[in-house]
Amino acid sequence: MIPMALTLPRTQATDLAGRAVTMDETAFRHLYDRTARPLRAYLMRSCGDLALADDLLQEAYLRMLRSGFEGEDDDHRKNYLYRIATNLLRDHFRRKRPESAEVPERDESPVHDSAVHLRSDVGGAMAELAPRDRQMLWLAYVEGASHQEIAKALGLRTASIRSMLFRARQRLVKQLQARGLRPELEVS
Amino acid sequence: MTSKPCPHEEAVAGAARSGEWSPELKAHRDGCLTCAELTLVMAALAGDAAELAAMDSPLPDPAPIWLRARLATREHDYQRATRAIVWVQRAAAAVALAVGFAFVPGLWNLLKEASSSLDFSSPLADLPRAAGSPLLVIVASMLVLGGLALWELTVAQEN
Repeated sequence: MIPMALTLPRTQATDLAGRAVTMDETAFRHLYDRTARPLRAYLMRSCGDLALADDLLQEAYLRMLRSGFEGEDDDHRKNYLYRIATNLLRDHFRRKRPESAEVPERDESPVHDSAVHLRSDVGGAMAELAPRDRQMLWLAYVEGASHQEIAKALGLRTASIRSMLFRARQRLVKQLQARGLRPELEVS
Repeated sequence: MTSKPCPHEEAVAGAARSGEWSPELKAHRDGCLTCAELTLVMAALAGDAAELAAMDSPLPDPAPIWLRARLATREHDYQRATRAIVWVQRAAAAVALAVGFAFVPGLWNLLKEASSSLDFSSPLADLPRAAGSPLLVIVASMLVLGGLALWELTVAQEN
């Protein structure tokens, strides 16, 4: 379902108005099949809401098509998509009040599989972080984005990414440790 | 023990991503809190990403996205194609309004004169003269055309 309620801010909608779809439908479907699941995972973990993640996912592809962006290859287009998605997330969090911008509490239903339980804990730990920390960590360690790409996506200075990423990682480690996950260190 | 940035982070991240650890790097990771934490974070996030990617929930259908993008493009093409017409309509409406305002004071007199000179028994060939001066015909035509242009503009903007 296309989210009709999800309107673009006026300036961005105007920016897109002068462009056209240049990709053909087959190429678009190929790109969608390849990138939609990981992109939804990124959106889902960043905003914590599957329905919203699906809305933002559709909006991201729509904006990419309307921008007329061709890209050199699928990886280039994928990076562009993540940038759009990150902007959409930023717009979403800006529209929300700070206290409601937090990710909803994780599902507390009983889970018996220990591996699944640990992964749910990762979601819970991520939910305790600020949206920008979540996005930064995901882009760096799941998508393997470079500091430059992260800076571009998040609208930050490349030089700041290293230290910001380090601090975000420490905050996540703290949350993971609170959930019983610890780094394995050989005690000598 | 607190961790601080380690110069081997990038190498450790690369190894954690590929799963290919050299013995030296592995030894470093096992003794360095920063790199051990980095490995923990990467493993946790990779597991989480795999779980999210394998979710049962189906992805939104891409067909409506494609269709919506095409429609937006067509709408933009249409607007671009009709832009000149809209400007001509605006100009016509503006000229009609200006002419209307300029001639309103004398228009009533012209109409009165025209109506008094109407002779319904005269032949059809005399009709233009009977209808009044050519100026009246021009002004009336422009007002009608201007009104039509204005109406067309309003309808186009409503759509």
